[in-house]
Amino acid sequence: MKKVLALVLTLAMLLSLAFVSTASAAEITDLRTYETTAREMETWNIHSSQLANDLNVLCNLIDGLLTNDAHGALVGNAAKEWYTEDGGKTWTFVLNDGMKWVDKDGNEKADVVAEDWVTGLEWVLNFSKNGASNTSMPIEMIVGAADYYEYTKYLAETYQRIVDDGVTVPDELRKYIDPSCFDTTVFKEMVGIATPDEKTIVYTCTDELSYFPSVATYNCLYPLSAKLIEEVGVEGYQGITWENLWYSGPYTVTSYVHQNEKILTANPNYWNADNIKRFNTVTIKMVESQDVAYNLFQTGELDHVTLTQSTLSTIYASESHEFHNNLSEARPTKYSYQIHLVYDKNNEDGTKDTNWNTAIANEAFRLSWYYGLDLTPYLARTNAINPLACQNFVYTGNAVSVNGSGVDYTQMVRDELGLQYSNETYARVDAEKAAAYKAQAMEELTAKGVTFPVEIDYYIQGNSQTAKDSADTLAQVFSDCLGDDYVKLNILTYVSSPTNEVRIPQLASIYINGWGADFADPINFLGQETYGEDNAYYSMNYSMINNATDEDLIATYTEFTQMVNDAKAITDDQDARYAAFAKAEAYFLNHALAIPCNYEVAWELTCINPYSKVYSAYGIQAYRYVNWETNDAIYTTDEVAALAEAYNSAE
Amino acid sequence: MFLYVLKRLLQSVVTILLVVTIVFLLLRLLPTDYYFTEDELMKLTEQQKHDRLQAAGFLDHPLTQLVRFYKQLFTEFDLGTSRRIQANQPVISVIGSKFEVSMRLGLISLGISLVLGVCFGVLQARYKDGIFDHLGTAYTVFVNAVPSLVTYSLVLAFGARVLGLPSMYSMRKPELSSILPVVCLSIGSIAGYMLWTRRYMVDELNKDYIRLAKLKGMSTRSVMYRHVLKNAFVPLAQYLPYSILLTVGGSLLVERFFSVPGMGPLLTDAIARYDTTVVQGVVMLYATLGILGVFLGDVLMTLIDPRIHLGKKGGTR
Repeated sequence: MKKVLALVLTLAMLLSLAFVSTASAAEITDLRTYETTAREMETWNIHSSQLANDLNVLCNLIDGLLTNDAHGALVGNAAKEWYTEDGGKTWTFVLNDGMKWVDKDGNEKADVVAEDWVTGLEWVLNFSKNGASNTSMPIEMIVGAADYYEYTKYLAETYQRIVDDGVTVPDELRKYIDPSCFDTTVFKEMVGIATPDEKTIVYTCTDELSYFPSVATYNCLYPLSAKLIEEVGVEGYQGITWENLWYSGPYTVTSYVHQNEKILTANPNYWNADNIKRFNTVTIKMVESQDVAYNLFQTGELDHVTLTQSTLSTIYASESHEFHNNLSEARPTKYSYQIHLVYDKNNEDGTKDTNWNTAIANEAFRLSWYYGLDLTPYLARTNAINPLACQNFVYTGNAVSVNGSGVDYTQMVRDELGLQYSNETYARVDAEKAAAYKAQAMEELTAKGVTFPVEIDYYIQGNSQTAKDSADTLAQVFSDCLGDDYVKLNILTYVSSPTNEVRIPQLASIYINGWGADFADPINFLGQETYGEDNAYYSMNYSMINNATDEDLIATYTEFTQMVNDAKAITDDQDARYAAFAKAEAYFLNHALAIPCNYEVAWELTCINPYSKVYSAYGIQAYRYVNWETNDAIYTTDEVAALAEAYNSAE
Repeated sequence: MFLYVLKRLLQSVVTILLVVTIVFLLLRLLPTDYYFTEDELMKLTEQQKHDRLQAAGFLDHPLTQLVRFYKQLFTEFDLGTSRRIQANQPVISVIGSKFEVSMRLGLISLGISLVLGVCFGVLQARYKDGIFDHLGTAYTVFVNAVPSLVTYSLVLAFGARVLGLPSMYSMRKPELSSILPVVCLSIGSIAGYMLWTRRYMVDELNKDYIRLAKLKGMSTRSVMYRHVLKNAFVPLAQYLPYSILLTVGGSLLVERFFSVPGMGPLLTDAIARYDTTVVQGVVMLYATLGILGVFLGDVLMTLIDPRIHLGKKGGTR
């Protein structure tokens, strides 16, 4: 009897364990996620949008040619294969079979064909239809794109003048002179895009661009059905809504209430439904703040939440807190933050800040910062538990480019610098070197009439307590690491627009900015810092290096620019190209022309395996809700650590 | 009366047009850099920015833009299209989609506040210096002293965690999810109506005609409801139409806090995003409602209190 009883009890225990195990391993079928209200969508027109708020949703609704997997590698999406036969001058994309455009209810509207990519690119480059949105990359990379944009712009202005003069243009004539009426006939003659058949698209690039496929993840190369334009008209597509949009992606939108919630529902006619994992629905709730999101998470109305510093500290400090064992470190965002140095700074009265401009042009002064600043306390403002997870010693973002041996480009830069990340110390700091450079700088600069401490004007948003707290920490770092006799960080504020109030009048000494890539090549980062080039964004708008007068500084920048352009010219050997870029970047950093600052690594509570999500270091694919692994219970800290380990070992 | 109404209506139209014109021109005085997001300012070339402004008509003379705006308004009843709040959507539909939600929640809250606020105010006045009065005063002080967001957080914590109510508003379950926003909207208004009802009634109670009525042997109940409340309600009534119409405007804080897709945050959002057409539309709506509310309030006063005659000197209260 005892044996039978024991057997029954054992069986019961095993069954209950199995039940518990099954229950805790169950996947979420209807995801509930959130955005803050400040990040509400502004448009459903994927070709005109340049906002992450829009594109995070839209990338689920329409399939681009390529996407990324969880490790960041390029994988096919609408295109099943892509190749170049001439070293990257022309790129061919072959589409999958069976792709359909559907309406919001999943009713079939048309086949997805190669011509849709022609219509999409024509829309982007037609000034009358799309203004100047998303034109930068195609204009720079695709043959004839710049000419077509200028052509439509010229015609649009001419046509507007005719209309303003009161001339009524007959429709049969209007279609030749009003670019808003254009089809793709002229476009195909002018621009390097061709469709040899219904399934093939060929782009001709302005140069041999090995990274062009990464641009194919971006919305400037997204498809648009000419039949949709026929249905809603040009103005209708400019103001397209979720209700009359055509969908070709894994989800359609079945409900949308502005500033409240949107519901994405699995597209019933999705061509790839059998090969990817999707949620039945994804509900995106709009919440006022991260604190409100945390409230919703606590009441079980959300499946994940990113924690604010105060909430994180509260949970972390109390071992008895219900979520203490569920804290998990999020994956880094794609942004690489730098301390950008300004080489042509003005005082508030518009005169030159000679003291600062002279000091920052001095290499020993910059290197004393580079080797002296231990930014760990500042990193703790982003990640209080594990600040060194945010350390950043390079300029380019992680995982943007990988060489033929699978080595991340940023690792190549760190090898050049001889500097590796450590989990225990902030490895860039070298107190001896810092002290030596400080002494050298003080001697050299005193001779040039610079007075100490050198004042550093640092601007933050006036109404942000978070920014103030971070700036206070940064000021303390400068004081502790470099000494009050040497530098002094002044925390100043702007009201609403840092560009208008600070950048344009050139009032700041330093900026801490993050840059995220649009495509997979280091030029996307280093090209922003070159000397004497109009399209170098940071040089033109932040460092103002082109206005600098110090000959040594200009020589250093010129050398760096030459190295970047030499690397850029290597188009037939990707490994050699990356190696040359890595040397240029190491040169840039060894001369402390900017100082790498941090990555963003937050903490969260989540029922989603962060390592199963699409990881995209560039472009717009990071928020695709496909192939996500989830758990109906909140992941524990240990479980997420195990998932991270499994992910890293699979790389 | 008819002439007075006609005169006020004409004055109202002129005032609304003046307000809209001033706001329109002030918006055009802002530097055009505010037209762009920080991201756009970072990435667009000067030529691209110029192209964008040109395409949006921002490079035309402000008066040309103003004429175009009024022409569209009067010929097509078109307020233009939103630039960023809901890009390229007609402003009327942007406002229209939010109008109904705010008004529904606002009217429910106003009804609750009016009934509870006036009733508690009457009780406070009736039992002045008694327990009702002290409790009511404590409530009023609490509501006015504690920041609204703290009060809302308490309501949210209690409602969501203890009572299991939805933490945010849902268009799919409006009944249940409206409870917490309505409670938050009502808390402040109840205190307001309590405070003013008590104050006006205590004022009336100290007047000679009330003493006379009491001396003549009228019951306290009769004095309170037939004389005191009726007279005390006149100044409250003046603001009633205004309050009803302004429910359309929603509440910035409550709607943000509970993600109510209403009118509350629309104006601030539109200003922050430099969505000039939406700003103009919302300002025009608020100006119209405000002016209409005050006008209807005056008319309502004359209906409640026949001693008041609009348009005659000394006739207004």
